Amino acid sequence: MNAYLINANKSILQNPLELAFLRLPLDFIFPPLFFFLVFNKLRARFFLSKIIIEAGSLSVRQRLKELAEYRELLWTLAYRDVRVRYAQTAVGFAWAIINPLLQILLLSFVFGTVAKTGTGESNVPHILYTTAGMCGWVYFSNVLSGASNSIIGAQSMVKKIYFPRLILPLSKALTAFIDLAVMLGIILFLMFIYGIMPTTSILFLPFFLFIAVISGLAVGIWLSALTIRFRDFKQITPLMLRLGMYATPIAYPASAVPEQYQLLFFLNPIAGVVEGVRWSLIGGEEPSNYILLSFGVVLILFTWGLLYFLKIERSIADII
Amino acid sequence: MSKKVIRVNHISKRYIIGQGKNSSLYHTIGNLFKKGTPSKEEFWALNDVSFDVEEGEVLGVIGKNGAGKSTLLKILSRITEPTYGKIQITGRVASLLEVGTGFHPELTGKENIFLNGSILGMKRQEINAKFDEIVDFSGISKFIDTPVKHYSSGMYVRLAFSVAAHLEPEILIIDEVLAVGDKEFQDKCLGKMNDVSKLGRTIVFVSHNMNLISLLCKQCLLLKGGKILTLGNTQKVVESYLFDESHTYFDRKKSQNISKCSLLNSSKSEVTSLKFGEPFYFSVTLNNDFDSHRVYVSFLLNNENGIRILSSRSVDGDYYISKDEKGVVKNSFTAFYERLFLRPNVKYLLSIRLLEQKGHEIEYIHNVLEFQVEDIPHNPNIRFSGGYGIVANQPIWNVE
Repeated sequence: MNAYLINANKSILQNPLELAFLRLPLDFIFPPLFFFLVFNKLRARFFLSKIIIEAGSLSVRQRLKELAEYRELLWTLAYRDVRVRYAQTAVGFAWAIINPLLQILLLSFVFGTVAKTGTGESNVPHILYTTAGMCGWVYFSNVLSGASNSIIGAQSMVKKIYFPRLILPLSKALTAFIDLAVMLGIILFLMFIYGIMPTTSILFLPFFLFIAVISGLAVGIWLSALTIRFRDFKQITPLMLRLGMYATPIAYPASAVPEQYQLLFFLNPIAGVVEGVRWSLIGGEEPSNYILLSFGVVLILFTWGLLYFLKIERSIADII
Repeated sequence: MSKKVIRVNHISKRYIIGQGKNSSLYHTIGNLFKKGTPSKEEFWALNDVSFDVEEGEVLGVIGKNGAGKSTLLKILSRITEPTYGKIQITGRVASLLEVGTGFHPELTGKENIFLNGSILGMKRQEINAKFDEIVDFSGISKFIDTPVKHYSSGMYVRLAFSVAAHLEPEILIIDEVLAVGDKEFQDKCLGKMNDVSKLGRTIVFVSHNMNLISLLCKQCLLLKGGKILTLGNTQKVVESYLFDESHTYFDRKKSQNISKCSLLNSSKSEVTSLKFGEPFYFSVTLNNDFDSHRVYVSFLLNNENGIRILSSRSVDGDYYISKDEKGVVKNSFTAFYERLFLRPNVKYLLSIRLLEQKGHEIEYIHNVLEFQVEDIPHNPNIRFSGGYGIVANQPIWNVE
């Protein structure tokens, strides 16, 4: 083995798990988990842990508690995904920028220049409008495509070792924060170039990003569970994402959709998030109340998906 | 009095066979509109298994392929759920069903230690604290910052095992993972296992290697067809595994001329496996029909690769089917092999030829009997020392 190989991989991230900036969102998403963790550490100090193995022995609460115990694995897996993603590519991390950038240019050209959909009431260049719309979408689509294959992709692990399976789709929701960060970087840069200041609506950004995470997880958990059983979803997911890109108000305002279709339009779980994130970033026209419908869909999908996943979790190794 | 850390109570596990066929989206949706449930076949991988493991005990689990060993381990390590029954485990459990679970080829050795460690349930501080020890044990410190895809398979496995060897749970569940690396590394692993068991940790250990089982375990569990056949003292259980008669291939329908054919061990009981270095007999009883001709038998022994190891003819010892003074037919041949040290862990197949004195062949019966030689020394002073060759006889050495 030559010296080149040995030195080539002294990465910037020498110490695994040192993605401190990634730690924040999770604690933010699951404060209850944090509580459980502390509680458990205390408990473990006084009692020897006892495991009971039985058909359907764990309640949903116990499973969530267990999830908290395996928090480190979640970080490790997310770190692995990030680390491995652009391994052996010529431009490396630059792909994380080039990719969305080209998508933005294309969308902006089709909707802004050719179809002239306008930007609603906001007076910003169309390219900026599209970029703001892409923020929510990029996160969502990355979670989805990652999560749907997450369990199939980790088959060998699932068959050989025990851990809460929910960690697999969850880790994809973490990894996608990198893409979100890149998008936010791009938009800040563009706003700076065009001299546009964020309005007070930016205060709502964390809230909408939170919903973005939940909606990504809602659909992602469903897809990961369904893909185990029906491999058809390996084909369905990319198709859904391609169609969804046009059915979501990324490069055009939702208000451009005819009134009679609004209800249907906002059944799309990501439509509300994209509208919300864009509004909080560049201001302009306030999102319509229809986004609440979208959020409602997200909430139902998330709760239902989570319960379904926890129900089938223990039999995953048998089905896969 | 030691306490019971694992209590297994009436565990059963059912698998549905043929589920794969009907699991596509098309079929599931189709089935929604069909009346009645689709026909499914059940298979019980484990059937009403109960046992206890005491603290500090090393329990060996043996059995043939398909006996339910892996299913038992999977249930104990919580990978799948039992269909019925309950298990109570007190203490932290780590299971090693494979070495290097989750290793990623693009990551460096160092990163993989962290990754694999946390997959196996180690905390980050724990890995940090033991990091140097792990690297030392693996003996590849020079390449620790190289992606593991550039490792040789030996280096890969050594690194993987080193992580696993430094787990410190109260209960360790191990599948046959020790069969990795070269002899030196294997000894190192064995030593580590011994250390771990001496520290009072409880181990459940599955292996096909009877030698290892007898070395490490005091208690042993023999599974067959999803049920416990024997449970108790290792020596006793291993014997009953070797004596298990369902091994034999001999089928009466195979030949009209033979009524019985068997392998006998040194104490003349019928067996299907031998210990290494054990004297043995081949025995065959013919039907009475050959009164007029001088009929003799020939034993032909092949190993599983079809290599002929020996052929012995009773005619060479001048033995034929004959009658004694009272007219009783003597038709049972035995051949005693006192010092034929067949190489262990290989399958052997016995074929028999029936011939007349003139050389005319009456019948050639292929593979009447199948047996195996286990890596357990018959005589504690003579162990199988490895090496090549189809037999492993020890010569009488001398140097002058």
